[in-house]
Amino acid sequence: MSHSTVPRSRAEANTKPAKTPVASGGATGARKRTGKLGLRLRFRRDRVLLLMTLPALLLILVFNYLPILGNIVAFEDYDPYVSDNGIVSMLHSPWVGLENFQRIFQDSAFWDAVQNTFVLFFLQLVLFFPIPILLALLINSVVRPRVRAVAQAVLYLPHFFSWVLVIAVFQQMFGGAGMLAQQLREHGHNGIDLMTDPAIFKLLVTAQSVWKDAGWGIIVFLAALASVSPDLYEAAAMDGAGRWRRMWHVTLPALRPVVALLLVLRVGDALTVGFEQILLQRDAVGPGAAEVLDTFVWWNGVRNQDFGYAAAAGLVKGVVSIGLVLAANKVAHLMGEQGVYKK
Amino acid sequence: MTPNAASASSGSSGPSRRSFLASTAVASVAVAGGMPLLAACGSSDSDSRGGTTSGKNAKKLLPAYVASNVVTPDIPSKNGSSMGFTSKLDVTTLKTSVPKKLGKGGKVTIMSPFWGSPPKSDNPYYTSMNSLIGVDVQWQNQDGNTYDQKLGAVLASSDVPDVVVIPGWNMGGKIPSAIISKFADLGPYLSGDKVKEYPNLAAIPTDAWQRSIFGGKLRGLPMPASYVTNIVPLYRKDLFDKAGYQLPKSADEFTALCKEITNARAKRWACGDMKWTAFNIFGVLSGSEKALGWNQVDGKLVYRVETEEYLEALEWTRKLFAAGYVHPDFKLGKSQATDPGSKFGAGEFLIWNNDISNWYGQQAAQAAQNPDFKIWGMDLFGHDGDDPTLWAAEPAGIFAFVNRKASESVIRDVLAVANVTAAPYGTKEWMMTNYGVEGTHYTIKDGVPVKNDKGNNEVVNAFVMVASPASTIAHPDFPDVTKASVEWQQRMGAFTKKSSFWGLQITEPARYTNLSNDFEQLEDDIARGHKKISDMQQAVSDWKKQGGDKLRDWYKQLLDENGSAAS
Repeated sequence: MSHSTVPRSRAEANTKPAKTPVASGGATGARKRTGKLGLRLRFRRDRVLLLMTLPALLLILVFNYLPILGNIVAFEDYDPYVSDNGIVSMLHSPWVGLENFQRIFQDSAFWDAVQNTFVLFFLQLVLFFPIPILLALLINSVVRPRVRAVAQAVLYLPHFFSWVLVIAVFQQMFGGAGMLAQQLREHGHNGIDLMTDPAIFKLLVTAQSVWKDAGWGIIVFLAALASVSPDLYEAAAMDGAGRWRRMWHVTLPALRPVVALLLVLRVGDALTVGFEQILLQRDAVGPGAAEVLDTFVWWNGVRNQDFGYAAAAGLVKGVVSIGLVLAANKVAHLMGEQGVYKK
Repeated sequence: MTPNAASASSGSSGPSRRSFLASTAVASVAVAGGMPLLAACGSSDSDSRGGTTSGKNAKKLLPAYVASNVVTPDIPSKNGSSMGFTSKLDVTTLKTSVPKKLGKGGKVTIMSPFWGSPPKSDNPYYTSMNSLIGVDVQWQNQDGNTYDQKLGAVLASSDVPDVVVIPGWNMGGKIPSAIISKFADLGPYLSGDKVKEYPNLAAIPTDAWQRSIFGGKLRGLPMPASYVTNIVPLYRKDLFDKAGYQLPKSADEFTALCKEITNARAKRWACGDMKWTAFNIFGVLSGSEKALGWNQVDGKLVYRVETEEYLEALEWTRKLFAAGYVHPDFKLGKSQATDPGSKFGAGEFLIWNNDISNWYGQQAAQAAQNPDFKIWGMDLFGHDGDDPTLWAAEPAGIFAFVNRKASESVIRDVLAVANVTAAPYGTKEWMMTNYGVEGTHYTIKDGVPVKNDKGNNEVVNAFVMVASPASTIAHPDFPDVTKASVEWQQRMGAFTKKSSFWGLQITEPARYTNLSNDFEQLEDDIARGHKKISDMQQAVSDWKKQGGDKLRDWYKQLLDENGSAAS
């Protein structure tokens, strides 16, 4: 690599998407090559590849696309028990048109859930998302392989604990009868209970997520960092760049496409915030502070068997999610990054 | 588990919920007894408006009653209490209530809620029960705590097991409509004199059968229960005696006692979540089933959430929380991750309102490691110091249903199973159902059967869930607890009234089934200070507008047409 490959400007970075480890240039390259060939020729040439994709395609069709039809129940007062067959039940349930949607938009519990979901999403975006990047930079700077392996193992470990366990540990530490509260009481202060205070619940949830999953999140960033050629650092060093300048001009630009990609993906998932984690703690602070869209759907659908209503809420969530992905992708393009897809 | 789990039950809570209760405390009684409950049966299959079956129509369906006279109880049932057996049980002279095997050797799958870790499917308890009955029962034990979530999905599938056990507290949302469309009519096998083929089923009290009529047909095999409230304010008598605490006689005395007990610095709090006791001492209409919450006052029906008492009870509960008398773990509500039982055992809190089966259950569980431990039930008092006004719970709360597609031979085999599990105390069948096999699951110590670890692990839930004898409390190993439990029920039974729809199985019309879904959540939010009493008042006025008033008219018409079942 020559000196000049270090991207100096946004424009230059943009012209070299293939440099990035994840947002692959492979796909774009393939498209150029196949452009001129006829469909049949291409089919014959790629038949082995196509055959290999078939099982995955089938799975997606059966488990992702067919169930989309089930959204019909959002327009019904769906009663799954009128028949042994779900499709027959769908045909027999009374059609109510948009009534479920009207009910949802008038339901203050739904709007609470929407608000909680968005607040939680933004909190996590600001407080959680950058942490794996910082950790990855930290780990990457550790030279001794042993120390590095141990540090990585320690960071990954909480990811494998179940939420029930994580929350029980938090309760034992920060609950009203937990270690912190008892320590305070023994020293003559009032005990505090961080687990049942609706005002700080969202910070609590974010803290739990960070503790559990921040370590796991560094994997992708480490992979991206590993693909940065050491030549770049050497060249930069020879140009007189110090530690911070190397990070600013070499490391971070190399991470940028990955960050942009993950950010877009995260935005697509914005309305999906910690279902299990929140369901387990929902009653501790009440649904007013804790209900998110996923638990709202669960509560009304599975728990109350108001399937039509829950399906309608799920559908609203899906539509908003698509909108968010499209918007985030657009922003990524404006920033000169690949995003998830490009026209 | 309760050795005689089948009998220890009361009200809306099942016996086998004990370990469940132990792990999630009273809040879960609330879940159980609470809101998202039932709607139940329609007067006919085609009648989607819901309704009930009573009077003459019910008489045609109900099985004949033939009392069992195997053993006379030491304490007979009075004021709706269970029967109590306190004298020693001579295992060598047990009677036989099923002289010849009725099972034809077929295979029957049963799905049932299970609290705890289920044993292996070929364990000696299941195999010896199966050979006693003559039916190959295959258990599909599902976690009882999340049973409502599985139930809805299983019933919606085309693969429903031969028998499904459904507790009343899991009959929320559209489950009642599922019961009516998915389960068989047992009338042709049990109505009138036909039941005499199964003598132990014939000895199940008629009011329990009355509750088993769903959608105008006899569909359930009931677990009879005492109609006296199942929620007892249990307290640590050993620690009360040591500190010289006096039992409270009014709501204010209770609060003062809480203040005296609580010392957070020493890790001691007065009580758990007292919501369900508050409802009892303030005389709030029962919350264990929707229909029980309605009562006619001066010719007008009122629902429990509309009453002053309801708000007062919530406010009182809220004050206990706000003053810091409640153990902090209970602030987590149903999501409580740790078992309050061990904290109660450690004396972190001294008053725990809980299902009556826990009186024995906690005592037995703590007896080994904690010899001084003594738990006792506090009498309920009126909030103002007068006698309390208590409202009756249902005389049967858990039912087993047979798949509509089951053949006659499968149904006969299921009834053979039920005829054994419903055997009364003092029979070999009762002993095997509740204690397992002598030598394997229990041993006789000082003339008293005591379960060993294997017994505690295997002889739990399962068979006791299918059908049970008339409500019985019998713990030969703790006769004083047995006596006190029954006497508590009898004293409280004297204050117990039956609301207008007591004893009936009622299906609300589909459009109203989700109307009251959010009240229980709101109650808990108010108690914990997350919501205000005014939020409840708002919710009640919304409830009226969104259909509550129409539902009132519907119930009024039902009452005018059917009369009430309460005598």
